[in-house]
Amino acid sequence: MSSIYFIALPLLFGFATPILAKFGKNGIAYSSILLQVALFVLSLQLFVTMDRSIIEVIAIAPPLGIGFVVNSISLFFVMLFTFFILMASLYYLKLRKLNPYPNEAKFFILINMLLASTIGLVLSSDIFNIYVFFEIAGISAYILSAYRKTPKALEAGLKYLLTGAVASIFLVFAIALLYLHLGTLNLALISQGFTALDSDIKLLISLFLLIGFGLKVEIFPLNFWVTDIYEGSDAFTDALFSAVVVKAYLFVFFHLLYLFLPNKEFTLFLLYLGAVSMLIAEVIALRQNNLKRIFAYSSLGQVGLLFVAFSMQDVISISAGLYILLAHSLAKMVLFLSLASLFEHYKNEDISLLKEMNSPFLRNVIIISMLSLLGIPLLAGFVGKFLLLKTVAFYGLFGLLGLLILSALIESIYYFKIIGLLLIKKETKEQFHPSTLQKFVLLVLTLGVIFVGVAPFAISDFMATSASVMLDTQSYQNLLLGAN
Amino acid sequence: MIESILYYFNQTEVIKTIVTLGSMGLFFVGLFGLLSQRHIIKVFISIGIMEIAVFIFFIGLSFQRGLTAPMLGDAHTTFIQMNDPIPHAMILTAIVIGMAVLALGISFAIEYYKLTGKNRLDEMNEMKN
Amino acid sequence: MNIKRDISTNAISSFALSALFVLTLLSILLQHIPQKLSSAGDKLLEINAQEGVANAVTTVVVYFRGFDTLGEIAVLFIASFGIGLMLNFQVQNNQNKVKSNFMLQLGARLLFPIILLFGVYVMTYGHLSVGGGFQGGVIIASAVLLMLVSSNHFQLSHRIITLLETFAGVSYVLIGLIGLIVLDSFLGNFLPHSASQLGLLLSGGIVPIIYIIIGIKVGSEMSLIVQNMLQRSDND
Repeated sequence: MSSIYFIALPLLFGFATPILAKFGKNGIAYSSILLQVALFVLSLQLFVTMDRSIIEVIAIAPPLGIGFVVNSISLFFVMLFTFFILMASLYYLKLRKLNPYPNEAKFFILINMLLASTIGLVLSSDIFNIYVFFEIAGISAYILSAYRKTPKALEAGLKYLLTGAVASIFLVFAIALLYLHLGTLNLALISQGFTALDSDIKLLISLFLLIGFGLKVEIFPLNFWVTDIYEGSDAFTDALFSAVVVKAYLFVFFHLLYLFLPNKEFTLFLLYLGAVSMLIAEVIALRQNNLKRIFAYSSLGQVGLLFVAFSMQDVISISAGLYILLAHSLAKMVLFLSLASLFEHYKNEDISLLKEMNSPFLRNVIIISMLSLLGIPLLAGFVGKFLLLKTVAFYGLFGLLGLLILSALIESIYYFKIIGLLLIKKETKEQFHPSTLQKFVLLVLTLGVIFVGVAPFAISDFMATSASVMLDTQSYQNLLLGAN
Repeated sequence: MIESILYYFNQTEVIKTIVTLGSMGLFFVGLFGLLSQRHIIKVFISIGIMEIAVFIFFIGLSFQRGLTAPMLGDAHTTFIQMNDPIPHAMILTAIVIGMAVLALGISFAIEYYKLTGKNRLDEMNEMKN
Repeated sequence: MNIKRDISTNAISSFALSALFVLTLLSILLQHIPQKLSSAGDKLLEINAQEGVANAVTTVVVYFRGFDTLGEIAVLFIASFGIGLMLNFQVQNNQNKVKSNFMLQLGARLLFPIILLFGVYVMTYGHLSVGGGFQGGVIIASAVLLMLVSSNHFQLSHRIITLLETFAGVSYVLIGLIGLIVLDSFLGNFLPHSASQLGLLLSGGIVPIIYIIIGIKVGSEMSLIVQNMLQRSDND
């Protein structure tokens, strides 16, 4: 069972859809879901049967050609992405009854392309291949943003496209400089040769990679349009962006960081960048009134937290980061998917929606997810945050610790405001219940949140292995270079 | 005299310096346009100029004088003494991707203009803070 | 008066910023002009003769880095139907369109098959001399653009173009999957590609086949993009 199927099958499905769409819309929806179920099962099977890292060869073996590296950290992300996109597609099956997207076949093509490209980002071992997958994911995301073709959506798509195009320019510049000075495009060979370069070329390449990735990863000075993008897009696509796309970009950024700069230069800079980004995002969120915007700022804050966790380059902090990532993706999926249903039903996107909405099921899952994001014990968010704060204190970075705790306090202010608005007694008597399939999806995700919170030791081995694999540059190089 | 000037300019180092200066000049033009212009089509044109500058820089610097193009012809029957084919393949891919993204962006801008009549970035504030 | 001053401060500050950036960039780049390294491309040139393809750039694009080309085809595909999605419009009547000059119409109709033939030639001979699928596809699209501009009634049938596009895309991925099954590497070269056939039309295994498929796909997609931008399609 090769891992190429994760990319080839969604691409095949996407290419064939314009003709298959003539045979009926429901056929496309169901076959897309069938494909995603098959890929999720494949990822579970790979996880269970894999005992060591393997390489998939494409055309010719790396380091001359492109190869996919399948190790435990890649499989973690592959399972995560297939699971989330499957859940989102299942949720969409009922959402489309209320407010269908026009030209639905094209929507499923985009979802499948997003799946293929995010998995490709995580698996690939060649820097130009990573750039191509960035472009595929990016272009699918731009069209998904602007899908509704209202002025807001088009503006969101336009701004997303502008930031993405500028990021691509800097990325191509960095790849060009890397190839000119090192003569190779393979990540392992680049990581071997990178430390030997002159320090100002190294600085220049790192700066370009930081700008290029930073625009995509939404870190502090470069995230001025991100909340506009989240506000203009549908809540459903916001769920995909926040839970899948940004996580793939974050993984690629830190994977390259560990490979190219294993001597922990810039660590302090990145740590404070993440913490400042989180603080600013939480402070701005206090004054917002649009629900999508509030949760977008919360996502930016959590991304800052993940930056801190991954920048410390220590196994415990990386596994804390993986826990936070898992918890955040689960919670944001629940939040944005329920918001999608609520927006369709009540036609109100403002914070006043919370006062007028009356849906006990959705209210409960939203409250559980928000408590998890805050870091309440017995829910998923607590494990990661606690581990991270412990590690920060262990290293003696008390200024950083203070910034993180301050941001968490500010976040809890507006979170408790929202929870309070959710819990007041409603005047409207009729209740809104989402359909059974949607309840199932939200229940699965919420149970995931509770399970990871109550029993984190069940997956702690896997998290620790993944974290150490991600940090282990030497064995990555041996894997790719010893294969020839 | 002319011979020595031509010989000087025909060396690889000098050619590479000229290419660097020229492509970075183009990059400067594109960057200035990106930062100062507000009309959306001008922003797209600036992004296109910046992309082209990077491509010219890359292809120009991966040239080695004295080696020939990487394909067989009448005078070359084996693959020795040839330039590197990888930059050409990379730039081919990058050109097509850049063109696709810009074409998509222009279609967004056209549709937005049809709906609201605005085409300047500082007027595009459908979403008030 | 005030507006004039605002524009000029913006222009001056962005000029200064970009000049500073580019000057720093130049100072670093000019000191480190890269010398000739033994790069991955040289190693690929050495094993190129085994593939039996005369044009090394084609082998790199289609075979050694075929996965990047597959990704690029995917980007073009998504962009093409994204543009079709965005620019949905009613088919307008052509009454108030200016009829073009007689010379333009005649010349375009004379040139159209010639340009098309040239595009097909560039596409098919991509593995022997300069050219290839992308280049040939763009030439075909330029021929279509010529006809679209010169005549008010010319339009390509959306159905046939979609059929061509789908067929090309699906067969590209299927060839890759067959390579996976037969040779255990995706996009492996499973057709005979002996080095003795260097320079013949039928050489290189799957390389010319894939390049023709890429040419069909790029040609049809670019024609569709051009037609959509000129707002003259029967989008169904």
